[in-house]
Amino acid sequence: MLKIYPIIAAIGLLITVVSVFKKSPFFNFLGLLTLIYGLLKSAGLFMPPFPGQVITMYMAMSVFSLFIYFSIQEKTFEAFLEPMRAVLADDNKLILRILIVFIAIPVFAGYITYEKVKPNYEPPVSARIVHPEPVSSIEFRGKPITIIGLENPLRKDTANFEKNFEAGKKIYYQNCFYCHGDDLDGRGHLSQGYNPVPLPFRGTDTIAQLPESFVFWRVAKGWRGLPSGSGPWNSSMPSFEDFLTEDEIWQVIIFIYEATGNKPRS
Amino acid sequence: MKRILLTILLTVVLCSAWYSPAGADDSQGKKLYNGWCAQCHGYDGDAKSYTDKFSVPKPRDFTMGTYKFRSTPSGDPPTDADITKVVRDGNPGTSMPPWDRFTDDEVKAIVAHVKTFAPDAFKDAGKPITIGTPPKASADLIAKGKELFNKAKCVECHGTAGRGNGEKGWQDNFKNDWGDSIMPADYTHPWELRNGSAVEDIYRTISVGLSGTPMTSYMDSLKDEDRWALAVFIKSLQQQRKLGVALKVKKAASIPAKADDPAWDSVEFMDLPMGGQLMFEPRDFTPLITNVRVRGLYTDKELAFMVEWSDKKPNNGSDGKPADSIWIQFPVKVTEAVEKPYFFMGDKKHPVFLWNWKASAAGDVVEQIAKGNENVEDLPKKDVTVITSYNDGLYRVVYKRALKTGGKDDFEVIPGKFVPFSIAAFDGQNGESGIKGAVSAWYYLMLEPSTPLKVYVLPPLVALFVLVGGVSLSRSLKSKK
Repeated sequence: MLKIYPIIAAIGLLITVVSVFKKSPFFNFLGLLTLIYGLLKSAGLFMPPFPGQVITMYMAMSVFSLFIYFSIQEKTFEAFLEPMRAVLADDNKLILRILIVFIAIPVFAGYITYEKVKPNYEPPVSARIVHPEPVSSIEFRGKPITIIGLENPLRKDTANFEKNFEAGKKIYYQNCFYCHGDDLDGRGHLSQGYNPVPLPFRGTDTIAQLPESFVFWRVAKGWRGLPSGSGPWNSSMPSFEDFLTEDEIWQVIIFIYEATGNKPRS
Repeated sequence: MKRILLTILLTVVLCSAWYSPAGADDSQGKKLYNGWCAQCHGYDGDAKSYTDKFSVPKPRDFTMGTYKFRSTPSGDPPTDADITKVVRDGNPGTSMPPWDRFTDDEVKAIVAHVKTFAPDAFKDAGKPITIGTPPKASADLIAKGKELFNKAKCVECHGTAGRGNGEKGWQDNFKNDWGDSIMPADYTHPWELRNGSAVEDIYRTISVGLSGTPMTSYMDSLKDEDRWALAVFIKSLQQQRKLGVALKVKKAASIPAKADDPAWDSVEFMDLPMGGQLMFEPRDFTPLITNVRVRGLYTDKELAFMVEWSDKKPNNGSDGKPADSIWIQFPVKVTEAVEKPYFFMGDKKHPVFLWNWKASAAGDVVEQIAKGNENVEDLPKKDVTVITSYNDGLYRVVYKRALKTGGKDDFEVIPGKFVPFSIAAFDGQNGESGIKGAVSAWYYLMLEPSTPLKVYVLPPLVALFVLVGGVSLSRSLKSKK
């Protein structure tokens, strides 16, 4: 769908170039506007697309400034108005007059009005903060744990790394995989039922951006531990302190980082 | 002498390792298998695994060499392409996902390793059956397929409407070769057909059967064209899901008097995919109700909300299993603010109403208020009534309530305003009751207001105005000339 916009921009450019040779400011005006619109929309191919409102604003500014440009000299403005005058009054342009002035423009105006007055019911959209500000400390089954600066104690135990990885794998597939997926991609077989959908651990935008202490906090406290302002998200993420020990959470964290090839942020 | 013997021994050991049949391929396959398959299928391929208690159906045990999904005749091993297909496409409705992250060589290595768990089974390669071009679906062909569906006794397991609710499917001996209870497929749910939902997939299943299960091969008992007709009929039973965020409830002159009134079929619907309740003990890792379909109608006075779902065996609580049950949940306070109660049974600050129906009290609905899963109270009020039906594997529960109850504390349903709702469903046959069941996220329902008059009047008026403007401009320009 997006690929059509560079074509629109190219057509706009073509009209502009031809109109300069034909010395027709009106078509120059139309061509430039088409070119600008095509370019603004094409931006979506390389970056997040501009919101509709921004495009409307840019287009309004373009219409305004181009109109000033074409109307500032009397002679150019006369030439600018010429095609419109011709369509409105020339006797040999009767068919064009009927098609454009008497049919297309009124129908278009009616359509725009319909779009404006027809009722449009949209359900409320809920915004949420994906990575809330971490808390400084939590109470894990009654025991205070400082989260800021906390490191995974099992990482130091290099002799038992394989053992902890395997234990973490078992914990993952008995507690996490139905939502976060066999492949840790967030597409577990029950994931469709929830909103927000479970997060993927692959890719660079979730656990790869977080220190392990953050992940520990989220796993331990789940939806219930979300700070006010970023919760409750209606998340189905349990508070795993109800089901897992501290060591088990660290083990599963080792597994999800290793299995996805991500490194925790330090 | 000893040294010579030792040298010979060492050479033999080294050589045998070198000549091991699977060779270098196996080490990569084994590594990938142990990394990504063993969690479910077991390190020894015997499905004694981390997830065996958390998956329904259970992961495949490879040690018997019995494969359900094949393109080869009954009794033959699957081809490499068959096993590859399962790895690549996954099995919809099970915990086997499509593995698209691996390269073709990696999948090849995995397949080779999987085969080593039952080397005898793969001694002679299986030869796939020929699957021709499917015939075009027509009313006649579907009718023929329907006839065959009864004649070939498919109906005994899969039920008249194909919801997998046939009588035989619920006998105690309905098990697979591993002794696990199994269920016939629900053809109306294409998103959970393990072997694929295309007409070719159905034809293949009918033709070669599913090894290790009561689904036998019909290659010899049905002619090729009959198998196609059957496949086309079964394909016609599939329903497409319509997912969304909000259900629009249209205004009607009256509400159908019965839950199984065909008039309901033409009412706009929305499908809710269901997850398990995993937040609080007892949790439900293996919910069987995967989808709930909702519809609604309203009149000047009344609001009706229908919930519909497949249930292969109804349970009213009299057979030692819990009664089937369903509830809808609405926030006690409906506000346009973004914050809603917790999606499952609310919380202390944000209570929810539950309209709780149980098959053990068929005509009754209990209205409850929940402030979290441990704090549920029955309400004395009787604002809501239900009409229900169970037909051929399909439950329908229609809740009805006055648009305005007059109760101060009741939530209001005003046309044009979005009301959050969510659903929890409990299948007694699956041992679900209390808070162990299938849950949905929050969705919205909205009573669609009648279209304002200005929508019909303003656009033509503006068009006319512009036309008049154009005509007069044209005239004045002409007269100036």
